[in-house]
Amino acid sequence: MIEIDGAKGEGGGQILRSSLSLSLVTGKPFRMVKIRAGRSRPGLLRQHLVCVEAAAQISGASVEGAELGSSTLGFHPGPVRPGNYEFAIGSAGSTVLVLQTVLPALWSAAGPSRLGVSGGTHNPMAPTFEHFQAAFLPVLRALGIEVQARLVRPGFFPAGGGEIRLEVAGSARLRPWACRERGPLLRRMANALIAHVPRSVAERELRRLQGGLQLQAEELQISTCDSAGPGNALVLALEYESTTEVVSAFGSKGKRAEDVADDLVNEARIWLEASAPIGEHLADQLLLPLALGKGGEFVAVRASEHLRTNAELIPLFLPADIRIETRGCGAQIRVLQS
Amino acid sequence: MSETGRRRSVVIGLLGTKLDAGKRAERRWDAWRPTVALGQQEDFVVDRLELLVPPGHQSLATLVAKDLKSVSPATEVRLHAFAVEDPWELAAMYGALYDFVRAYPFDADREDYFVHITTGTHIAQICLFLLVESHHLPGRLLQTSPPSQNQRQPRGTLSIIDLDLSRYDSLARRFELEHREARSLLKSGIATKNAAFNRLIEEIELVALRTKSPILLQGPTGAGKSRLALRLYELKRARHQLQGPFVEINCATLRGDLAHSTLFGHKRGAFTGAAADRPGLLRAANGGVLFLDEIGELGLDEQAMLLRGLEEKRFLPLGSDTEATSDFQLLAGTHQDLQAAAMSGRFRDDLLARINMWTFRLPGLRDRKEDIEPNLEFELESYSKDSGEFISFNREAREAWLDFATSSAAHWTQNFRDLSASVHRLCTLAPGGRIDLDTVAREVERLRSQWEPRPARKSCLVERFLPGQAQDEFDRVQLEAVLEICRSSRSLSDAGRQLFAVSRALRASTNDADRLRKYLARFGLTFEAIRSP
Repeated sequence: MIEIDGAKGEGGGQILRSSLSLSLVTGKPFRMVKIRAGRSRPGLLRQHLVCVEAAAQISGASVEGAELGSSTLGFHPGPVRPGNYEFAIGSAGSTVLVLQTVLPALWSAAGPSRLGVSGGTHNPMAPTFEHFQAAFLPVLRALGIEVQARLVRPGFFPAGGGEIRLEVAGSARLRPWACRERGPLLRRMANALIAHVPRSVAERELRRLQGGLQLQAEELQISTCDSAGPGNALVLALEYESTTEVVSAFGSKGKRAEDVADDLVNEARIWLEASAPIGEHLADQLLLPLALGKGGEFVAVRASEHLRTNAELIPLFLPADIRIETRGCGAQIRVLQS
Repeated sequence: MSETGRRRSVVIGLLGTKLDAGKRAERRWDAWRPTVALGQQEDFVVDRLELLVPPGHQSLATLVAKDLKSVSPATEVRLHAFAVEDPWELAAMYGALYDFVRAYPFDADREDYFVHITTGTHIAQICLFLLVESHHLPGRLLQTSPPSQNQRQPRGTLSIIDLDLSRYDSLARRFELEHREARSLLKSGIATKNAAFNRLIEEIELVALRTKSPILLQGPTGAGKSRLALRLYELKRARHQLQGPFVEINCATLRGDLAHSTLFGHKRGAFTGAAADRPGLLRAANGGVLFLDEIGELGLDEQAMLLRGLEEKRFLPLGSDTEATSDFQLLAGTHQDLQAAAMSGRFRDDLLARINMWTFRLPGLRDRKEDIEPNLEFELESYSKDSGEFISFNREAREAWLDFATSSAAHWTQNFRDLSASVHRLCTLAPGGRIDLDTVAREVERLRSQWEPRPARKSCLVERFLPGQAQDEFDRVQLEAVLEICRSSRSLSDAGRQLFAVSRALRASTNDADRLRKYLARFGLTFEAIRSP
């Protein structure tokens, strides 16, 4: 039984989700203690429970301590069962995080799966669907994973009610992968998503963004969506020859449209001033696929606490050797199969 | 998918016809809506919501249920039509909620119930509180609160209200302070150290503030019964438990007609000298406390009338045809064993049963040696306060007095009365307001002689025949007894037979007269000398 100190490193929900993913693929049970110790509301919250429940469902796992506020969780996975699953998580947490938790198990499984996850898709505290779709999935495909995702409807906080559908082939045979440079910039696209919000809000955001980042008119787009509740997200995709970065900012009640655009400009500048090909958040997400596959290496803008936590966690489940080297231009990360 | 054994959380609440609507339907997600917020909490999951819907708000209820489903798909929402004629009228609201609760199939083995009190009229909140507090509704109160100014998210917060106030640390500290103040009051501010006494005070505090029944204080004379009774009264008064006066009488001072009329009053002309109506102490104590010290001294007739006064709050004044009434709490004091008095018929056992529900036994001062010092301080202070002059000990004097006061030679037969008198004398005799070693030495001598067991010290004959000669107590007692027998015997042999009767019967000794003569000779005495007048 693998014992994990949930308060180590990032010490929040990520160490739990990564542990669930690794446990599902390797079939190794684990026991996590001190879950979110030291946080203002320690223990499992709803958004963590939905991930535990989804992981349990696709593998018929037996689970101990899956309760609100619980600081200890025991997870004993069964064999992963590919097939059709629907998860309704409401506005508790993020549909993308649930998908990322179960995805490795499904691409490793013996057959294809179809997933529908409903709830929040655009949440400031988690990757947006656009980031998942345009930044993360292309890397998975490059690794040899056949996966398609579709946003049926966005779900904004607080109403939720969004839906993402995902198809994954299963039985993936992974290849090694490397990404050391961005390559030439191919395309930029800024998209202002609005639901039950006046179009003028989106127009003001894009006007401000255009000035801030010197975008062309054809690089701007407004998407008026149908959604359960009101919402607004401003998303910028920057596509290069060998990588794509997606940054986003969110409107909320009482926040000026111009401020939303300024938030995005600040996010984008961090990326634009750096030269490494993999953004901070994408880097966090790539360690698991590389360790579960044939390894690889990449250069990230920076190695975050999340990434370091994953680097320490993975060897508990897998014979992987993860090296992080900080350089002037970013962090060089190598995942070796030992 | 989660384990089957998990308890389900069920929330019961009223639809908030204003709050749950938001301002406008299309802007409703911007507003804090308490019932929807139930489903938006990160650390609380509602498995089922029982939503009571007032007539005319069905469409709002449906919308709220739909939005709740969107934020919390796992929540099952059940709508109940809930009609109250006037939702601002207590009886109507309570009745309607009561009926709902009575009909509801609670399954407390598998489900936890929470009562959402944020929505509904204030009357509804009060009624829900009452139903929870009286355990008609087996749940806990749940409160949702709007988000603070700097929180953009409209989910606000949720808190479970525990009605056990002692569970709240900040309140527990205040209660503890309140208890400490009460105990300090009962101890007249004296920091007593005796564990048994302090425990007794804790119990008395607990009981005194919770009962209007009689309380019996048992303890030796001077143990502080009367003072404690007064403090008990002051405590109850400070806590607004009574408004009436403190009335005190020592029953040993009551005899005959006077006893009846003092306690129960009389009508004018009831007896010679009864020139006017007299209300009596029971009536004087109405709404307050009646302290009957030495209740064992009360006559049997008065005991019977007192019992009636306690049980029915009615009694008959002397010479009156109509009963008087008074509502008071009885405190009784006694140094006697009332149980024994009841057995021998001197005390009514029905009255005893009525007054000894709460009996507290006050220890005497000898059993509270560690409390002598704090009481010394108290007495010094109160003397200083009364006399207006500051009196103090010098260090040796203080130690000398305490040494004696806590030794086995100090009998404290009158307990605190003795202690108070001793300190009073020390203070009065202190040269220049300073108690010195000499003052203490003389006071110790006074106390010694006061407590001397005089009748026991019979040594008249020894003194008479051996004047001025110091004898060991061992010899003195024996010699006194021997001399006494010799004085009343006709001859040496006669006295010897009496003195050695037992050994004589066992034939262990035959020459009693000789044994006696030798014994007396040790003290230089002869039988003849003793017999001479």
